[in-house]
Amino acid sequence: MKYVFQFGIVWDHLPQLLAGAWLTIRLSLGAFALGFVIAMLLAFLRTAGPRPFRAGIGAYVEFIRNTPFLVQLFIIYFSLPAIGIRFEATTAALLGMSLNFSGYATEIVRSGIEAVPRSQIEAGYSLGFTRLQIFRHIIVFPALRTVYPALASQFVLLMLGSSIVAAISAEELTAITNTLQSTTFRAFEFYFVATGLYLLMAVGARLLLHAIYWAVFERARPGEWGWSR
Amino acid sequence: MKRREMLIGAAVTSAAGIATIAAVTQSTQALAQAVAPPASGGTLDRIIKEKKLRVTAEVTSPPFGILDRNNQPDGSEIETARQLAKDLGVELELVQVTGPQRIPALLAGRADIAISSLSITFDRAKTVMFAPPHGALSIVIAGPKKTQIRGAADMAGKKIGLTRATLEEASVPPIAPPGAQMVFFDDIAATMQAMVSGQVDAAGMSAFAAKSVGDRNPKAEVENKFTVRTAYYAAAVRPGDFDVLQFLRTWVFLNKHNGVLANIYKKYTEVALVDLPVM
Repeated sequence: MKYVFQFGIVWDHLPQLLAGAWLTIRLSLGAFALGFVIAMLLAFLRTAGPRPFRAGIGAYVEFIRNTPFLVQLFIIYFSLPAIGIRFEATTAALLGMSLNFSGYATEIVRSGIEAVPRSQIEAGYSLGFTRLQIFRHIIVFPALRTVYPALASQFVLLMLGSSIVAAISAEELTAITNTLQSTTFRAFEFYFVATGLYLLMAVGARLLLHAIYWAVFERARPGEWGWSR
Repeated sequence: MKRREMLIGAAVTSAAGIATIAAVTQSTQALAQAVAPPASGGTLDRIIKEKKLRVTAEVTSPPFGILDRNNQPDGSEIETARQLAKDLGVELELVQVTGPQRIPALLAGRADIAISSLSITFDRAKTVMFAPPHGALSIVIAGPKKTQIRGAADMAGKKIGLTRATLEEASVPPIAPPGAQMVFFDDIAATMQAMVSGQVDAAGMSAFAAKSVGDRNPKAEVENKFTVRTAYYAAAVRPGDFDVLQFLRTWVFLNKHNGVLANIYKKYTEVALVDLPVM
């Protein structure tokens, strides 16, 4: 068996692949933003909210983290229409990715919140801060700084995991690659190039996230929060 | 912090990754040559010697390949593969594949023969060699009763579900009018689910698949809107495996005349097999 590689056909279809990669990036950033907001809210309620909230959020987090992402997507895309809720494939993908990310991010942020020394929170109370003020002024920054590496890794996992949304016909990089390889039968070539694109996006994301860490936590506030090192 | 380390790490990772891809490309080529059978014996000799025939099995495509109640592969193409192994006097190993993997699995050497309702097309013939056809199928546009489609032109403004790497993916887009939106899924089960749940207005699939989804979901009131084309499907082998191809030619000839192929077709599709053209 001898296989002759023909990469020419891949370059002919490069604009389509790049369009797919662009949707992958948009979905990942959108899901990160949406999921992060949800996660902050849930993490706050889980650590400082009323007791029934805490249990409910715990159940949500366990559900998200202990069921397959693909099944969650199928529920959103194929099952919800049965009760009259219908999403476009791309919207369903964004929603599924956001909810999935929020489940993991809630736990990550919660661990950061719990790592903030108790004495600082008590200092906040003694100054007459409300719970929200304590969260806003005392907890958020050091907590996020502590868990930043974990959140950054989770973002890269989110982006790589986005390949699964091809199954519900969202036309991101993997879906485009599948379509192209199935019409040209150049599976090896297309998957190699797609792998390279994912690698570039992941490395790019890590560099960008590192720059953000530097800009937000090191340059903007030198010396501050020094205790957390 | 260890910013410089992280930057160096990222640079090294990307360089290593690109090097790996290049290396894999080369080693795959080397491997492909390494596992090539020696000149003295072809693939057919190896199959007979090892007493094992590896055939692709797509099990999400009724009535060609499905999983039965005991989760065992069943269907007309599975039965065809069993018959082939029986006639060769060897053991059958079914290599489960999804629709889009049928040809890649064959080319990668995971299977010796692809028998998974592969319709004969020009594009496919550029990468694999086809045996003479052993069955026929019609591609139809099927949809719920409420979808108003009577011909290709009516697909304008509608979402049409298609399965990747199938005959419908090759034949529906060329006849679709501007404004018709094609939506692609990876297996027929997902396409059917999209049609039943209303995520697409209609879907392209074989007439058998449409009948099967209609029978299993009477409430969806699935009906055939129009026939896109009729095609013939055949077994496929890797380019260069002329020994296997010649055996398949003989095999199809004999089983066409003794009625075995017609029986398998009738048993699973509940339709009589049409006269298969000679190839």
